[in-house]
Amino acid sequence: MKSLRFISAIGLCCAIWTNTPYPFTVPKGFPLPVYRFKNNPRTRQGFELGRKLFYEGKLSRDGNFPCSSCHQQFAAFATYEHRLSHGFNNQFSFRNAPGLFNLAWEKEMHWDGGISHIEMQPLAPLLDPHEMAEDLENVISRLKKDKSYPVLFNEAFGSPGINSQHLLRALAQFTASLVSADAKYDRMKRGEVHYDEYEQKGYAIFQQKCGRCHQEPLFTDFSYRNTGMELDTTLRDYGRMRITGRKEDSLKFRVPSLRNVFLTFPYGHDGRFTTISEVLEHYNSGIIQSATLDSSLVKGIPISENDRFYLISFLSTLTDSNFIKNPLYSDPQLKGKIALPVEDSH
Amino acid sequence: MTKPSNVIGRQTSKFITRQVKAIAITFLIFLMITSFHKINAVADAELIIRFRAYVHGVPLELNKQYKNPFGESFEISRFRFYASRIAPVYTDSNIKSDGRLVYHLIDFSDSVSTRLVLPVTSGLCTGIRFLLGVDSLDQIRGAQRGALDPARGMYWTWNGGYQSFKIEGYSSVSSQPAHIMAYHIGGYRHPFSTVWKIRINTTDDIAFRLTKENKITVEVPIELDYFFDGQTPLHIREISSCMTTGEMAWKISENFVGSFNGLTLSKNP
Repeated sequence: MKSLRFISAIGLCCAIWTNTPYPFTVPKGFPLPVYRFKNNPRTRQGFELGRKLFYEGKLSRDGNFPCSSCHQQFAAFATYEHRLSHGFNNQFSFRNAPGLFNLAWEKEMHWDGGISHIEMQPLAPLLDPHEMAEDLENVISRLKKDKSYPVLFNEAFGSPGINSQHLLRALAQFTASLVSADAKYDRMKRGEVHYDEYEQKGYAIFQQKCGRCHQEPLFTDFSYRNTGMELDTTLRDYGRMRITGRKEDSLKFRVPSLRNVFLTFPYGHDGRFTTISEVLEHYNSGIIQSATLDSSLVKGIPISENDRFYLISFLSTLTDSNFIKNPLYSDPQLKGKIALPVEDSH
Repeated sequence: MTKPSNVIGRQTSKFITRQVKAIAITFLIFLMITSFHKINAVADAELIIRFRAYVHGVPLELNKQYKNPFGESFEISRFRFYASRIAPVYTDSNIKSDGRLVYHLIDFSDSVSTRLVLPVTSGLCTGIRFLLGVDSLDQIRGAQRGALDPARGMYWTWNGGYQSFKIEGYSSVSSQPAHIMAYHIGGYRHPFSTVWKIRINTTDDIAFRLTKENKITVEVPIELDYFFDGQTPLHIREISSCMTTGEMAWKISENFVGSFNGLTLSKNP
């Protein structure tokens, strides 16, 4: 009788906490990711909780600014058509919101690399008075009062309490799972499709003129470089130097990935370039000389009119339309429907 | 005012070359072989540590007016710092004492947090050592709990990382709004790391014996006179706040290290 009770007790525990392992697959040709869900094994429940939290207004002070307000799926999780994003109390963010994909490969986050761990990343927008303008304790107490969250946290982490660690780890299970590896470029690499003549020419020019910093297959080498952009005197953003305090790092910003580049405009850390053509023109003729300018850019990168045409053909093959339509990553409240850009979305 | 000579602060090295690593591994293997001769480090005693802050020799009370050595008045409303790997310094060098990797957030507005009871090996000691701040490896471990829970108010979100210490309050000479004085000191990256290995000897190097029966409370005084009048004179009128990493934060952290004074001992009943 005793043993029966014991077994049923175990059975009950299992019934309460049955989380389903959800292994992470590294796309073919990609290196091993930096974040491998160590201490935070990916489960179906953890991922789904993270996804719900990503779209949750309760994480922001006035309820209007979930993560997804500045990271919109149709823009590869950047802010569509905005130099800077909007946050609490009609304020602008300090920098252009980057697209969110392949984050598991990033050792450091932000344009200046100020964040060294994906689990800690959400704290930056959450606590920034210009963005979600919230406080960790408020968020946690609001989630505790909610009807569904205590149950969902229990399902994901096997303990009923909600704390910052579980909140951050659930978000990381979702954000680290945002993998974009199914663009035409990837299908070409896998031998499933062929590039047309323009794309092929563009690819060759890209490899010759851009590929050293925008290294394949992630299209960034994750380094910090001064690309000769003039200091904006209203933002006074010195980039990497804010983090390291070293003069050598003045005006250096992280090399952004070019995956989904057609969707993530405007470009640059402050979104100053509206189109890809403007970016190409900057490298061709707009480089500002300074002490920390990247050595490869001292003479600029000559890009002819023809080069531009081919390059743009190639860059369009980096758009992963399956990624932006993947219902796994969409707002769970939409139940599989995909949000499309609308005029008034912030 | 001169810096007390019995305080030795050393910055943790961030840069390990491959060669150094190889040498370190060889050395470790050597240590492992030779360590059989060492005294087995069993935690058979307790060390009680109490951190106490002073201004000009008078115990600090929060939200009370004081004057620093430059005659500038100030009051402190928040005073917190991280300490870990706390261990006694034994006269017998065979006793290994790295200290356990447990982070303590010492918060002077919460008296419970200023008194620590640590399991240690018995032996004759002349001081203690600990790590001030959060080690670079633990800065990048992801979401943590306990003392390192970001909700404890010591985590920087735009330049990810834990502050080493925080001294906050008001000063009439501060030009900040509401005369705020705020030193939020952090940064773990080379060359402006504010993480320090600290070793403090007892006053006059008096040895004390830790045994199972002999419970000793070690008081670690922090003399804020040295914080202001330290290696870099910290005039509140000139520097009333520092909330970013970099050279200034590093210099202020050096002053803070200098404010740890000689230990005083008292026997527990």
